[in-house]
Amino acid sequence: MNLQPVSANPLVAILRQADATTILDLSGEIDGFADEAMDDAYMRAAATNPQRLLLNFAAVDYINSTGIALIVAVLAKARRDKITLLTCGLSEHYQEMFRITRLSDFIPVFPDEESALAAP
Amino acid sequence: MADEQDKPVSKEVPEQEHPNEDAMQQAERDHWARPMGHIRADEVPPGASSANIEGRDVVNPTHGFGQLWRRTYRIRLKDVQSAPAEVMKYWKDHFPEFQPDENRFLPTSDGVQPGELVFIDAKLINAPGLGNLTPMTSGVMVIYADDESFTVMTPEGFPVSGFNTFSVYEEDGGIFAQVQGLERATDPIYEFGYRFMGGETKQDRTWTHVLKSLAARYGIDEDVEHTKTCLDPSLQWQNVGNVWKNAFVRTTLYKATTPVRWLFGGGSDKKP
Repeated sequence: MNLQPVSANPLVAILRQADATTILDLSGEIDGFADEAMDDAYMRAAATNPQRLLLNFAAVDYINSTGIALIVAVLAKARRDKITLLTCGLSEHYQEMFRITRLSDFIPVFPDEESALAAP
Repeated sequence: MADEQDKPVSKEVPEQEHPNEDAMQQAERDHWARPMGHIRADEVPPGASSANIEGRDVVNPTHGFGQLWRRTYRIRLKDVQSAPAEVMKYWKDHFPEFQPDENRFLPTSDGVQPGELVFIDAKLINAPGLGNLTPMTSGVMVIYADDESFTVMTPEGFPVSGFNTFSVYEEDGGIFAQVQGLERATDPIYEFGYRFMGGETKQDRTWTHVLKSLAARYGIDEDVEHTKTCLDPSLQWQNVGNVWKNAFVRTTLYKATTPVRWLFGGGSDKKP
């Protein structure tokens, strides 16, 4: 049963590859409406068997607490699949949200794609 | 949810070209609690205890032990004419009143606001003869609140590690009230309790009761829809040490040793 209506500005995820890292360029809103799009994006990314998955939030307009829960779910799946999850492009405010919710305990936060890809 | 005008604007745009940008970003920031170290219970409501919450850290599901579940409960508020924000305001203002009798929720004087605590005194298993044997004193922190939703996060030692989001929204011309949890049992004792001692059933009953009680205030008697999805069936054994902060064990030991403290003059007001 789908308990969520449709978003006016749905999440879009575009997949790219950079060596052993799969990059998900996210845009739109990450909230309760983004559930299926986030699930689908992760499944497509995991199908590439990456060592690392980089979530690029540079074009994300909005994340609310339900959206944070969706990112937690992606983190759980990545840990289950032994994929290292990284993030980049988070604004200062959203970096703060990652600290409040302690997501940053488990997901390294990089300012941009270059520094994330350069990380060991 | 924020509309187009509420969204944050790219950091590269000069501030003077968007005079409302700061105000918009500040409004969004105000929905969130401020980053904190350990939880500080600056205000403890009468009848509440800061045990098992003061000095703890909030935890998300990745800090927990058990299987990762997303549980969603919702009720249709049929024929309610109020806007979702009005219903949510009522829900926040009367939050403790919708709990079952065995759960006491005690918010601080500021109520359901980002960064505020809600103290909890509960019986984990509501079975004849067992209720009084399963006490738990702890609380949750409100980490997010806007006009139509709020989210609480649990501290170390709480039965589950994760989030609960309470929301009111429109769908198909109707208004729905919803509780959605994303959580793992915090340690092996709680995981056992959830699976084999009726803990999960108790949780289902609690949120069903809350939603039906809210609906009853509007004169509505509808069924609660319930879905649950296991997002990760594995156990996180690296977090087995969470058991040392188990709020149920600490509360039980504290209550069990109360007569000893009385006998030896230790008083009864110390925290477990």
